Amino acid sequence: MAAVEATAGRRPGRRPVLAVATLAVLVLAALVVPLVAQLDQQLVDLRSAGLPPSLAHPFGTDEVGRDVLLRSIYGLRVSMLVGLVAAVVSVVIGGLVGLVAGTLGGLVDRLLMRVVDGFNSLPHLLFGVFIVAMFAPSPTAVVVAVAVTHWTTAARIVRSEVLSLRGRPFVDAAISGGSTRARVIRRHFLPNLAPHLLLATVLMIPHAIWHETALSFLGLGLPPHMASLGNMINDGQRSLLAGDWWSSLFPGLLILLPTLALSALAQHVRDRANPRWRSELVL
Amino acid sequence: MKLRVDGLTVRFRIPGATVHAVTDASFELSEGRCLALVGESGCGKSVMAHALLGLLPANATVTGHAWLDPTATRTDSSGEALDLITAPEKTLARQVRGRRIGLIPQSPAAHLTPVRTARAHLAETLRELGRTETPDALAARAGLRPEDLDRYPHQLSGGMAQRVANALALAGDPPLIIADEPTTGLDRPLVDATMTELRRLRDEGRAVLLITHDLRAAEQVADEVAVMYAGRIVELAEAESFFTRPRHPYARGLLDALPTRAFKPVPGRPPELTRLPAGCAFQPRCPLATPLCDEQPKLNGVACHHV
Repeated sequence: MAAVEATAGRRPGRRPVLAVATLAVLVLAALVVPLVAQLDQQLVDLRSAGLPPSLAHPFGTDEVGRDVLLRSIYGLRVSMLVGLVAAVVSVVIGGLVGLVAGTLGGLVDRLLMRVVDGFNSLPHLLFGVFIVAMFAPSPTAVVVAVAVTHWTTAARIVRSEVLSLRGRPFVDAAISGGSTRARVIRRHFLPNLAPHLLLATVLMIPHAIWHETALSFLGLGLPPHMASLGNMINDGQRSLLAGDWWSSLFPGLLILLPTLALSALAQHVRDRANPRWRSELVL
Repeated sequence: MKLRVDGLTVRFRIPGATVHAVTDASFELSEGRCLALVGESGCGKSVMAHALLGLLPANATVTGHAWLDPTATRTDSSGEALDLITAPEKTLARQVRGRRIGLIPQSPAAHLTPVRTARAHLAETLRELGRTETPDALAARAGLRPEDLDRYPHQLSGGMAQRVANALALAGDPPLIIADEPTTGLDRPLVDATMTELRRLRDEGRAVLLITHDLRAAEQVADEVAVMYAGRIVELAEAESFFTRPRHPYARGLLDALPTRAFKPVPGRPPELTRLPAGCAFQPRCPLATPLCDEQPKLNGVACHHV
């Protein structure tokens, strides 16, 4: 049943177009708007504090009169950057560990995989909170926290792929022709791993964004003055009690939109990589 | 003479048992000749090929000798006499595989990296072997069109992948070719094309060791036939006399099993290589078996007490 739904729900081209368009608009906004903005995102204007959405302030203003739309876009910029860097760092760390474990095998493999199990047995968020608590609030602290808690996924993916590659005849052929281990890794493992690493990174970005916002929401992630989506929701929850829904709703939507779009895109990439569905696409 | 295999024996240690994969195999192969090693699946044919190339797993013990260029002297251009069984891995990797022995593998497509084109495979192999030939020229020698070379392995048909594998085996211009079940999964026309190709290689003066269970294919190219049963060579004969007058009861059974002949399968199943019967391994299936067969027959053209 699930398979039937998945196949029926896969309309080639449509879902990714929506996802790509959403992402493109958001990324473009995050990149361009801060360059051309007329208002200062940090400008406090107590006369226009707590205004509901209007033409002048489409997302309203927060409790000290800052424009929520502008700050949301600045926040999106920070969240995306932190998410991207954290995802890349965790995939690089995990990829290296998985490559070493899968290539060397034996005792090294068993030890590294027990370390992976150890990290996986700790609750992500709690462990992340523990790590950021050791630093002053900063983007670096958040990147470290997310990377340290999330490299294990990539390590597992890469290790299992390397194990399967190691048994393939073309690798035997390379070794029997005198290829060194380094050469096999460079010429055979890495090119064959590239699509897996790419997918792992894309899947990791929304996850990393959620963790950044979660940590910031708890007041532990980014410095409180920095416009980040998590910080804004945290600020907004106080005015929420007074009925000012806009100052936390819009930043919340800006977390949901890009991460859902990225997830849909990653899902699409995964579907295309699945040979059973790929053959349908060709036909 | 190109290859002299002398008393080659391969054992695999597995938990609680020993696999008698190849026992006391001896044969010779000269330039411009093709020896077909035939027999049912699991009789030790491929193990023999892998033993000659030093590709057996770590739990294998190999005894005996396999002399490459046994008559060569140190000054011969093709290389000095070398015992493939005792040669160090480094010598095999740098001087033998691809250079003095070319392997045409079973399932050629699996031996190609999925992320690179056929041309990239050929170019890299030629470069590593220090050849100046272009990939296109090499491909042409193996019957490939230049445009086929820009395909990735999954875009190649079985026959094209086979020809890419042939081209790779020929890249180093090796005087000895080992073809390990090169026709697996190919249809009749492609089998015939592969055999034509091997015949051409033989006629160029190369020694060809063809490992196959396809007797009809072997008949097209072989000068000599060695029949293996349960790890032993039970008949070694000139191809012409083998296909007209097979002598060993097993060889006769194999030929009678062909659809073009009696289409009558050999009764029973081959023995497990971990528990071989005493004496002649074929006696449980043999119509001629007598108490005499409890003693291992010597190979003198044919290993049987009754012929």
